[in-house]
Parts: sequence; C-alpha cells; structure tokens
Amino acid sequence: MVRVKSPQDFGAGAVFIAIGVAGIALGSDLPMGTAGRMGAGYFPMILSSLIILIGLVTGARGLSIEGPPIDRFHLRPLLFILGTIAISGYLLNWTGLLITTVIVTVLAALARPKANLGEATLLGLGIGLFAIGVFVYALNQPLPAWWGR
Amino acid sequence: MEFDIFSNLATGFSAAFTLQNIGFALLGCLLGTLIGVLPGIGPIPAIAMLLPITFQLEPLSALIMLAGLYYGAQYGGSTTSILVNIPGEASSIVTCIDGHQMARQGRAGSALAVAALGSFFAGCVGTIFIAAFGPPLAAFAQQFNSPDYFSLMVLGLTTAVVLAHGSVIKAVAMVLIGLLFGLIGTDINSGLQRYTFGISAIWEGIDFLPLVIGMFGVVEIIRNIESRELPRALIGTKLRDVWPTKQDFHDSWRAVLRGTGLGSILGILPGGGAVLAAFAAYTVEKKIAKDPSRFGKGAIEGVAGPESANNAAAQTSFIPLLTLGLPSNAVMALMMGAMIIQGIQPGASVMTKSPELFWGMVASMWIGNLMLLVLNLPLIGVWVKLLSVPYRLLYPAILMFCIIGVYSINTNVEQLIIMAIFAAFGYVLYKFGCEPAPMVLGFILGPLMEENLRRTLVLSRGDPMVLLERPISAALLLMSLFVVALIVLPQFRKTREEAFQE
Repeated sequence: MVRVKSPQDFGAGAVFIAIGVAGIALGSDLPMGTAGRMGAGYFPMILSSLIILIGLVTGARGLSIEGPPIDRFHLRPLLFILGTIAISGYLLNWTGLLITTVIVTVLAALARPKANLGEATLLGLGIGLFAIGVFVYALNQPLPAWWGR
Repeated sequence: MEFDIFSNLATGFSAAFTLQNIGFALLGCLLGTLIGVLPGIGPIPAIAMLLPITFQLEPLSALIMLAGLYYGAQYGGSTTSILVNIPGEASSIVTCIDGHQMARQGRAGSALAVAALGSFFAGCVGTIFIAAFGPPLAAFAQQFNSPDYFSLMVLGLTTAVVLAHGSVIKAVAMVLIGLLFGLIGTDINSGLQRYTFGISAIWEGIDFLPLVIGMFGVVEIIRNIESRELPRALIGTKLRDVWPTKQDFHDSWRAVLRGTGLGSILGILPGGGAVLAAFAAYTVEKKIAKDPSRFGKGAIEGVAGPESANNAAAQTSFIPLLTLGLPSNAVMALMMGAMIIQGIQPGASVMTKSPELFWGMVASMWIGNLMLLVLNLPLIGVWVKLLSVPYRLLYPAILMFCIIGVYSINTNVEQLIIMAIFAAFGYVLYKFGCEPAPMVLGFILGPLMEENLRRTLVLSRGDPMVLLERPISAALLLMSLFVVALIVLPQFRKTREEAFQE
C-alpha cells in the first residue's frame, strides 16, 4: 500500500494534473498548426503537457518525501465569504450600494462563529455611507447608490 | 535619444508638478501607508482594488497614484513592524526582528526615524538610478527582436520562480498555470475562442482584477478569519524622542549606504524586488557586523539596512518594466496591467513615445518619498491608533471594497463570480502550499510570450534553434540556465532556505 508522505505536495500534484488534463481535453478542438505556423492550440498544448509533467513530479514527491500535513479546510468562512461575493453583484444591481453593503457586512460577520449581528448592521451602514461618499460622489464610479438600476 | 539625466528629470518634474498630480501622489502615499499599517491587507490586493478608480484618470496621474500606493505601503509596513511587531507587509518582516526590540527598549523613535530617513535616502538614490540606467537599457532594448523577448521572458519567469517563497517546483507549475490562464479568450492571431465555453465575460480573456483580488485579497480575508483574531501586542511605546541620537546616526549610516546599494541592484533583477532586498540586506548586515550577537536584540543596523534596501528595490524594480516591458514581481505585473488598460504598452517605447510619462513618473517617485518622510513621522500616532481597530470590524470593509473594485470594472456581475472562483482556487492552492504570486506573473505574460514565440518561429520557419543563434537571446537563455543551475547546487539551496526561514 502506497502511503502519502506529504499531503500538501500530493494534493498540489493532483490539482496540477487536473488542470493540465483539462487544458488538453478542453482545447483538443483547437488547431495545433505547425511550429512554423503555430495554431491556436499549439502553445496551450505545450503548457498543459508541462503542467501535467510537473504535476506528476510533485505528486511523486508527495509519495516519497515527508512533508507537512494539510491544514484543516474551514468551510464556514469559505462558504460565507464566497457566497457573499457571488450574490453581491446581483444585490448591487437590485438594491444599490447602501443596502448591499449592509447585507454583505452581516453575511461576512456570519463567517465567524460568534457574530454580533447588531454590530454588523451598524458597521454595514457606516461602510455603506462611506463607500457612497467616496466611490459614488467623490470618484464618480458607475455604482447605484440608494437603490438599484 | 537624449541621455542627459538632468534635462530629462526637469521634463519629469514639470510634468509631475501639477496640482492634480501632486494631489494623486499624496492620496496614493496616504492610502498606501494606511494599507501598509493595517495587517491583513497587502499592497497587491490594495493596488488591484484601487485600479478601477484610476481608469478615468490621465495615464500619468493614474500611475503616479499607484506608485505612491506601492511605496507608501513599504513605509507603513515598517511602522507597524517596529511598534507592534506585526509586519504590515512582507518586505518589512525582517524589520520586526531588531526594530521591535528597539521599541521595547524605549528607542522606537530612533528606529522609526532611521527607517524613514534611510528609506528617503534610498528612494532618492533609486530615483537617480532609474534616471541613469533607464535610457541606456531602453536603447539596448530597441535592438531586441521576438526571439530575444521570448528568452527575456523565460529568464524573468525563471528568476521569479527561484526567488519565490516556498517550493520551487510548485512555483514553476504556478507560472505555467498562469501562462495557460493568460491564453483564455480570443486568440488574437486566428480569432478563435479558447477555453471560453461561450461565457461572454471571458471572450476578451479573463480580467486580471478579479483574478488578483480573488487570489490575494479574498483568500487573505478567509485565512485571517480562520486563524481567529490577529494577535495584538500593543506595548506602551514612548514616542518622546523621535529624533535619533548622534550615536544612532554614527551606527547606521553605513548600513543605509549598503542597503541602498544592495536594494538598487536586487530591485532591477527580474524576480527580485523589495522583499528579497530586505532579507538580503539583513543577512549582509549580520554577516559583516563586528558583534553579530547584537542582532535580534535591537541593533540599529538591522533596521537601517533592510529598510533602505526595500525602498531602493521598490523604486528600481520599475526599471525592467519601463524599459523592457518585463514585470519583475507581482506588484509590477499589476502596474503593467494598469498601463495596458491606459493604452500604454510597457517597454522601451514608453521613453521615446511619451517621455513626459516616463520622466514624470520618475520625478513623482522622488516627490512621493519626500511626502512620506514629511507625513509619516508626524502621523505615527494616528497610524498606531488604527492598529487597535479589531479585525472583525475591518474585514467586512475590505471585502466590500474588493467587491466594489471588481464591480466597477464594467458593472458586470459575472466578474464577481469569476472573483469567487479564483478565491476558491487560491484557497485550495494555499492549503497545498502554493504561492499565487508566480501565477500572476505568468498570467500577465502569457499572451506576450505566445505572440513572441509565434513570431520567432515564423521567422525561422519553425526552427527553435534560432533562439540560440541570436546572441542576445542566447545570452539570456544562458543566464536562465545559470539561474536553474544555482537552484540545483546544494549550497545555494541551503542559503535560500535560510534566507526565507529568518
């Protein structure tokens, strides 16, 4: 039974191989051309192959050389922060900068275990007003301030 | 081409000395210091976040502000290193070692003043360095052809990999992944779509702002939340004596000179920059000191050397970008992105086509350094106050500014989704011990590298040997090989590991 000695290296190797394989598979319909007339697929194929090669080396190192373990993945902050970002654009279009900021701040506060939602709401209002002052009025950025577009 | 440094600098100062440009330099320096002081947000996401604001500015004003932001962050980082032992930013990590010890001995004022004066001196020298070496290097670059540019990028990326933190092999993979991601979008040569899956937001390629802000800014926030509250070691620092004693000056001026020299040279190297310069300067000071045991216990040379070096390097790392079009580190890759957005192709042509822009930027660097010196010392009290803001109040604001920055690019909701995806990607890679900085370099250089390779091979009818037949290209590749050889040599490898350990 093969044992993973360095989980970080092994994981990184797996990610690299996945990217390289995806690069080749998804780019397989691109014309390669020849060296003298490089097609759209020529350079991507070279890069993808090199990435796979290095992925294999890194993965092999993960099996042969002792290394540090992988830190635990903390799902709560990851999901809350990424989810907040993903919906923030739609929120901005719909409700404008002020309300979006309040919602983003509250959701961001929930990324930590003991969130104080009252404080977060007030903080969100403060950041929102500040952002409107700076980005909308002082810098003329294309953002809806008080309500969506 | 005119090689007279002083008439060129005069052009620059007259371009930079408008009320508007000075205002933007001031704004950049202030924001930069603020960012440098606040832990949990480094210069890379900060510059990326503020880039959209500069879209509507004139090119010179935009670049002046971004440059101010960059070296403002250097100053701010050193302040918190000395006062509270928290490096606001990577290039001031070594400053913590002796700077904070000095603060504990009640010599915070001396440490801060020496850091500020040393940085200012280094900044002045760095500016002259750019003015002196920029034009000849740009003239030399005029002889460059596609094969030479391709080899130059190989050298730049190789050095960046060797000098990156952490594992070399992972850094190589990150560079290659960056190059590959850089190719996503419409192929300029054939007009074919590559890896776009019909998503209109990436037809023109992935925007580098969601990528950079996601991988640096957002990942940083998640990492900080994970590690719970940041430690706050506010000590009762006495700021009575901001002026150093005669003995301090006597002890530190040589270190300032050495740091400046070392930093100026290391800044020019592709892959070099402020972080490397600071580490190298500290190592040198420790090596040549009569009594190395003083280091770590408040040796003023341990502050003066690295602080001068990181500022000098911050300055001179503009040289390869402005003359060769080669960004030497991730911050410079951002500056390159900013220039491209402004319609300027970085490289030798900047100096000939828009001399006011080049020299105006050089002049503004000096102005910015002076501003920082004048601003930083009196404002130290304010910056320290800021440090007592708990992170739980800080990160929602940082997150919101990240969102606003990306949304402002073109008010496209999909850009935010892309940012979230790259944040997730960056988070996973961080857990696997991969640094994102080399990937950003590759990402910026991807299309350029492909185009130069294509032109090279068209000229040689597909024969890659042309890369070795042209003298400039061959020399550059030989240097790359030398750099690779260095990493294989056990002795260098050991020094590198030690340097990053400290």
